[in-house]
Amino acid sequence: MSAFHKMIATVKSALEGAPHAPAPHAPPPFAPVVAAPAARPVVPRAQHTRRTELTAQFARELEAVGGVFLGAFAPDDVRARVVALARELNARTAAIGAGVTLDADPIARALEHAGVRVVQPGAISGGGTDDATRAAYREHLANCDLGIAEAEAGIAATGTLAVVGAPNRPNSLTLLPPTNLIIVNADRMWPDLAAAVNAIGAATFTSKRVALITGPSRTADIEKMIVLGVHGPKKLYALVVWPHGA
Amino acid sequence: MAAAKPVPVPDFLETSRKGVADADLRRKLENSTGRHLDHVAHMRAEFPEYDGERDVARRIKEDAIGRLDELLIELKQKLEANGCSVFVAADAAEARDYILKVARKAGAQRVVKGKSMTTEEIDLNPALEEAGMKVVETDLGEYIVQLRKERPSHIITPAIHLSKEDIGQLFADRLGIEYSAEPEVLTAAARERLRSIFLGADLGITGVNFAIAETGSLVLIENEGNGRLTSTLPETFIAVMGIEKVIPKLADLSHFLEILARTGTGQKLTTYTNFISGPRRDGELDGPRAMHVVIMDNGRSAMLADPVMREALYCLRCGACLNVCPVYRRIGGHAYNSPYPGPIGSIVSPNLFGSAAAKLPFASTLCGACRDICPVKIDIPRILLHLRWKENVAESPVKWPRDARRARAGVRRFARFAQHPRTLRLFSAIGGLMLRPFAHDGYLRRMPGPFKNWTRWGRDFPAPGARRKPADKA
Repeated sequence: MSAFHKMIATVKSALEGAPHAPAPHAPPPFAPVVAAPAARPVVPRAQHTRRTELTAQFARELEAVGGVFLGAFAPDDVRARVVALARELNARTAAIGAGVTLDADPIARALEHAGVRVVQPGAISGGGTDDATRAAYREHLANCDLGIAEAEAGIAATGTLAVVGAPNRPNSLTLLPPTNLIIVNADRMWPDLAAAVNAIGAATFTSKRVALITGPSRTADIEKMIVLGVHGPKKLYALVVWPHGA
Repeated sequence: MAAAKPVPVPDFLETSRKGVADADLRRKLENSTGRHLDHVAHMRAEFPEYDGERDVARRIKEDAIGRLDELLIELKQKLEANGCSVFVAADAAEARDYILKVARKAGAQRVVKGKSMTTEEIDLNPALEEAGMKVVETDLGEYIVQLRKERPSHIITPAIHLSKEDIGQLFADRLGIEYSAEPEVLTAAARERLRSIFLGADLGITGVNFAIAETGSLVLIENEGNGRLTSTLPETFIAVMGIEKVIPKLADLSHFLEILARTGTGQKLTTYTNFISGPRRDGELDGPRAMHVVIMDNGRSAMLADPVMREALYCLRCGACLNVCPVYRRIGGHAYNSPYPGPIGSIVSPNLFGSAAAKLPFASTLCGACRDICPVKIDIPRILLHLRWKENVAESPVKWPRDARRARAGVRRFARFAQHPRTLRLFSAIGGLMLRPFAHDGYLRRMPGPFKNWTRWGRDFPAPGARRKPADKA
């Protein structure tokens, strides 16, 4: 019998030997949690007001945890805002991951045009992922001024951005650079955690790395006083893309 | 295997007295735990669903623990399908040996660790260091206590027993920076120091908050980003979890996340919620090449077999019960001599560390504050009483039920005495005089002869005063 089967047998006999006696204060027996309805990728137009509300709530919550909300922009205006941010930050190097709903290439070109050195992991991983490539990429990220990624979903109730890792959108993009800009499409803004997790779907969680990011990295380990920027990004900017016709 | 099980020092009475006597420590603890409780009170006030969510979370745990065997089978299957190596450890030694084997095979020299109570439980760091590896704790609080060669004194705030001045002095001495007591300056110094260690590390080890059987994802909850770095940068990654961490469905998770941060730190959600479901995939630029998951029993199935004890396995390790506990707030975490201090530590430690921690259930006033704040409503006082009973029946000279009969007879005799005030007064006066030589500082801490069982478990008894003379009354 393998160690695993031995443990399962131990657990099983423990469970059978002592039928669970609920504590006197225990709530009524378990009722299965009703799953939320299947996710719809696009919010119907009738929900335009709802989307405005969600974005406003998202902005409030993000600022409450120390993030900066840059505003909502039409897809064609995103480029200009990103370049302006890079200028404000005096960023000389940047890394940008492939978009989810947005094409990252024009943003990268605009940044380069403005004199920022840009690395696109999509271009790198196309050429193979040997140790040297990965080391060079990591080196670049560790020293770059601004990391840019698009989130899979946003959560209004907590100001959270759900980032899904991919070959052309690696996790360290939202981890190593000192400053992060995360873009999210207004159609992918969900009221709460449960709805967002449901929309992303179990299949994505099984096959990809997902990080829910709520504000810049922080700690309260010294006398329970909050300090921003421990190991992850010190500054977090968020920008909402407002699709045409919305 | 040279590294022994972390054996809690038996004399809890002595360490707790030291804690009580340390006025400075009490001020620091009051300061930090008070700040935490303010945050939590604020959060609860603006989240009216809080209580209902606690019930839902508890029900999910009841369900999960009630069919733990099925869920573990499903989890192992999914994790392996995602490309992880799964190892099952019956006890601490097996877990340590496996981790050492993996580390050696990977040729690991520099190990980074995310915060993990489970690896504290199995005393992993000394074992790795003995094997010649350099181990660095990367959570800021853990880093601080590691520099001081101490154990964490709190489940989620490891350096809660230190003031910012203490930490400033520590960093000045050990990191060679200029003294500062500004948390911002100290945090920045640690960031810089640890960043280069992260980039050079070849093995990462973290704990696990939740393991989702449905998707085979490990969920790691943190604020600093060190857990993400530890699980992303090194070529080899090992996650260590107890068997009780498994939950059935992805949809269950949000119910826990809604309450965990609110209770633990007073946040709506922690900064990072990481879902890790396997090693680096083809074409990916980061993530570990190999991922190992150690699923550990180490005394947990025995807790499962005890119907009263079982609910202790629902614990989310939020640390809130420590902050509300009047005993913890007086004596601090180190007095417990266990990686798990406070109320939850007092019920879990005896099961994990055996007789060495058997006295911890007596370290409670049974006030119930822990039960009231617990996000999954674990009835800690009930379990404390259960463990006290077990300990007394098993270890005390009291023979059950013979001595129960004797005690009843004794009480009956006393009742007869009490009906004759004059006799009672006379005997009380004599008894008081006889006990006086045993009193110190106004308390009887060790009573002689037939009375010794009263004080044996740390029940101090106020020394009987001299009988007041009528003149004193005026």
